[in-house]
Amino acid sequence: MKNFAYTRATSTRDAIAQTTGNPSAMVIAGGTNLVDRMKVFLDQPSDLVDLSRLPLKQMERTRSGGFKIGALVTNTTLADHPEIRRDYPLLSRAILSGASQQIRNVATVGGNLLQRTRCPYYYDTAFGCNKRQAGTGCPAATGVNRGHAILGASDQCIATHPSDMCVALAALDAIVEVEGSRGTRQIPFAEFHRLPGDTPQRDTNLEPGEIITSITLPPLPAAKTGVYLKLRDRASYAFALVSVAAILELSGDEIRSARLALGGVAHKPWRSPEAERFLVGKPATPETFTQAAAIALQSAKPLTYNGFKVELSKRIIQRALAVVAKGGGLA
Amino acid sequence: MEVNMSQNISQNSNQNATTSVVGTAASRKDGRAKVTGTATYAAEHQLSGLVHGYVVTSPIAKGRIRSINTTAAAQAPGVIAVYTHQNSPQIFKPANNWMNSKIYEARLPLSDDQIHYAGQVVGMVVADTLERARHAAHLVQVDYEPQAPQVNARTANYQPSPPWFGEDFTFNSGSFSTGSAEVTGIEAQIEATYTTEMELHAPMEPHATIAHWQGKDAVTIYEPSQYVLLTQKTYAELLGLAVERVRILSPYIGGGFGSKAFPWPPSILCAAAARDLGRPLKVVNSRRQMTANAGHRSETEQTLKLSATAAGKLVLIEHLAKSCTSPVDVFPEPCTIVTPVMYAAPNIRLEQQLAVMNVGTPTFMRAPGEAPGMWALESAMDELAWTLKIDPVQLRIMNQTQSHQRKNLPFSAKQFTECLEQGAERFGWQGRSPEPRSQVSPSQTQDDLLVGWGMAAATFPGYRGATSAKVRLLPDGTAHVLSSGNDMGTGAYTVVGMTAADALGLPLNQIRVELGDSLLPDGGIAGGSQMTASLTPSVALACQEVLKAAEATTAAAAFEKLRQTGRAAFEATASTAPGEETKQFAFNSWGAHFCEVTVDELLGRLRITRWVSVMNIGRVLNPKTAASQVRGGIIMGMGQALMEECHFDPNTGFPVVYDLATYHFPAHADIPRIEVAFVGEPDLNFNPMGVRGVGEIGITGVAAAIANAVYHATGKRIRSLPILPEKLL
Repeated sequence: MKNFAYTRATSTRDAIAQTTGNPSAMVIAGGTNLVDRMKVFLDQPSDLVDLSRLPLKQMERTRSGGFKIGALVTNTTLADHPEIRRDYPLLSRAILSGASQQIRNVATVGGNLLQRTRCPYYYDTAFGCNKRQAGTGCPAATGVNRGHAILGASDQCIATHPSDMCVALAALDAIVEVEGSRGTRQIPFAEFHRLPGDTPQRDTNLEPGEIITSITLPPLPAAKTGVYLKLRDRASYAFALVSVAAILELSGDEIRSARLALGGVAHKPWRSPEAERFLVGKPATPETFTQAAAIALQSAKPLTYNGFKVELSKRIIQRALAVVAKGGGLA
Repeated sequence: MEVNMSQNISQNSNQNATTSVVGTAASRKDGRAKVTGTATYAAEHQLSGLVHGYVVTSPIAKGRIRSINTTAAAQAPGVIAVYTHQNSPQIFKPANNWMNSKIYEARLPLSDDQIHYAGQVVGMVVADTLERARHAAHLVQVDYEPQAPQVNARTANYQPSPPWFGEDFTFNSGSFSTGSAEVTGIEAQIEATYTTEMELHAPMEPHATIAHWQGKDAVTIYEPSQYVLLTQKTYAELLGLAVERVRILSPYIGGGFGSKAFPWPPSILCAAAARDLGRPLKVVNSRRQMTANAGHRSETEQTLKLSATAAGKLVLIEHLAKSCTSPVDVFPEPCTIVTPVMYAAPNIRLEQQLAVMNVGTPTFMRAPGEAPGMWALESAMDELAWTLKIDPVQLRIMNQTQSHQRKNLPFSAKQFTECLEQGAERFGWQGRSPEPRSQVSPSQTQDDLLVGWGMAAATFPGYRGATSAKVRLLPDGTAHVLSSGNDMGTGAYTVVGMTAADALGLPLNQIRVELGDSLLPDGGIAGGSQMTASLTPSVALACQEVLKAAEATTAAAAFEKLRQTGRAAFEATASTAPGEETKQFAFNSWGAHFCEVTVDELLGRLRITRWVSVMNIGRVLNPKTAASQVRGGIIMGMGQALMEECHFDPNTGFPVVYDLATYHFPAHADIPRIEVAFVGEPDLNFNPMGVRGVGEIGITGVAAAIANAVYHATGKRIRSLPILPEKLL
């Protein structure tokens, strides 16, 4: 670990001032991912600006009936909030299916969005990695890639985004509010994370010096029956092989609207507008769900060791939609 | 006082049966220290002037070092020294023959410029803090000349395996030995190939060493060691010292599973560099480094052929096994040794092959041989049972052997049938539906789950070694038991204390047990499940001897004498060793596992929902710690069955496993309640305590029981571990 200067930000503006124009400065909140990365030389900031005392820890209902969640709210606080559990149960379940209680107690909502891939090739400086250092190649492409992307990858990078919470937030069409030296702006969740393309070094569309201040959940009555389902190599404490967040608005048996987001399959939480469009107006039957799942995976490109993820993604979509249609709950 | 024992201690070890503590579920003597953090593990010792070493490891798996530039590392803040093969501290070549010394990897660290596997130690940086040492290690620039490595076990070059502890793996009986053509009576047959992946020991406590020299010719080494006295002799040879100039301290071990019996390269380098530096030095392996420098269980490929009569009597067993070793040492995974122990057949053929791969050196890992061997054998027995339409419990009872078919000796105190029958009874095995895919568990919100029941046998040899223990009676009314033997989390402190409590007629809380110090009498190895069987007879005898020395019939009388005479202590040392019985009997522990799994077929989601194991281990000194050992083995078996797998990058040969997030073993959510029961009698042929070990038997048969249950649930026969979700789709 390289030596660094540690300062505690006194205000959001102070944090922005300290990081704007200083590309080797980084912000830290819970530190559950950043500190690990620093220990293995993935990040070597000269300055570390601690946000954890800033007043960004409120949770409040919005006038329209949604929820505004401060960026420094811990994962535990968010997952345990009784109104989140009642109105957005898939968000609570997504959070609780990630990490461990101890990690969730300190990990923040804003930090969760900014955690980086756990691709083992990215993590180990013995290997080249375009995400870590542009132009050094992607050994995962011809290596052990069982956990890697099947959708939206590029020849530069096949990493997946590791978050569970972000998959639920993507399905909920959350809004990310950020603040920088030029003021505040709101980023729709679908536009917050990036696909790798030719610049896999950039995970998000956050500009240098910008800081996440809050996440807003729009009101969504159908979210009450929404489902988060995660498959992994053991029953707890593992990243997703594939996961899905699914919400259906039903009128009798007819689907009025649908939201479908996949985790563990792409560089970002993967919404499938094609499958969602297909579902609208269809009856909520297993046949419909099977067809929607096939559409969602139409553009999938499996690698040497992760071909099973294509089939597994289809099946997890079928199961999740079927459980939503029966009123939600554990899938 | 040294004495040898021939009489049966168990008859007179318990002076007052009503207060006997042996056989009761006493809680761990070291439990409070461990849960309150006062049990000091090797890396936790605080020494004045301590400095930190961090090893530099090779990212290539085969080739040589062209050059090393250490300038930047040497100039980094806090750096005290940088070692490479060009300036290695002095290390002497040990005999490495098990008697005088034993190291895990025959090649000494930094001995030349050759690279044999990725993760090999190519240097070490010493600095004033761990962080600075790690940082500077990252600055060491090594220029490698790489060659294409061999890291694919499927395409490796297999040759006949060298022998296992002097015994040839190859074994032929019946028509295989006579070369006669026909085996008659075969009415059913199965032949199948079973594979396992590379597994890591992954103990909670990483491998760690602190070396603290007193001048240039005496050293104290804090290191978790399953075999304290041999480690002492080994370091004496490595460092060119007299044995008594080396002291090993290993009072607590945070899990070893076979990987902490002898020094690995980073520890050897630590001890040698500390002398060079004249300062106490600590080297702790990172999880990443442990993938190459702390051993593993090799991947295996086993082909089993079982032929039987229509009634289910085995006529022929063929078991061929392949495993891999490193370029710098030889370790075959002895999969086939269990086969002639388990089942009788007039025609048996066993053979093993070994290939060299560019991987770190494999070694003993909990039930070496038996764990993968029983996976294959017990899967094959299940396949045969389905073919014959015979209950798998009955098939095992009918084919068990009353003698060891290689040693030609009868088994002592074998109650395998009782394990099977009682296990079946406790589990409710007779309620099993007769066909695969015929049991379901309905679900309100999901598709129905398939339910499967499976069973498999368990076994592990009864090993016993020569040990010594000292007992000291003090005027304060306490007895101290002292031995270099140790407790790697198994419960040795507790059962040693219980043995002494009964032998002296004292309550357990008046016994103090000190273990894991090379200054104490040789307690042997905590390996091969033999610490309890080897050490407790010496403890019991030493208790008798100390009463003789005190000329007292009870400990209370001895304490009274001490108080009256003002004498400091009565003390006696006793030694015990196996004898003629090993020529009369074969010794094994036995068991049976029964389990239930559910499979969510759409998602390939497998859950183990119920587990019953019945074990026959001779006398059970402490049902609580013994059951805990069995459970630990079963949980490790669940890991082997469902998730454990160390991957290598096919191009570079570098492990793509760097921590406990990338090497999965079971979390609590994976583990159901595990019911463990014991049957049988003390095995008094084996030792005077009648106790056989229990550390390893738990893992044997577990993976097969699970795969057999998966077959019953789904009709799908899984022959490759681990059973990942994609194999169930």
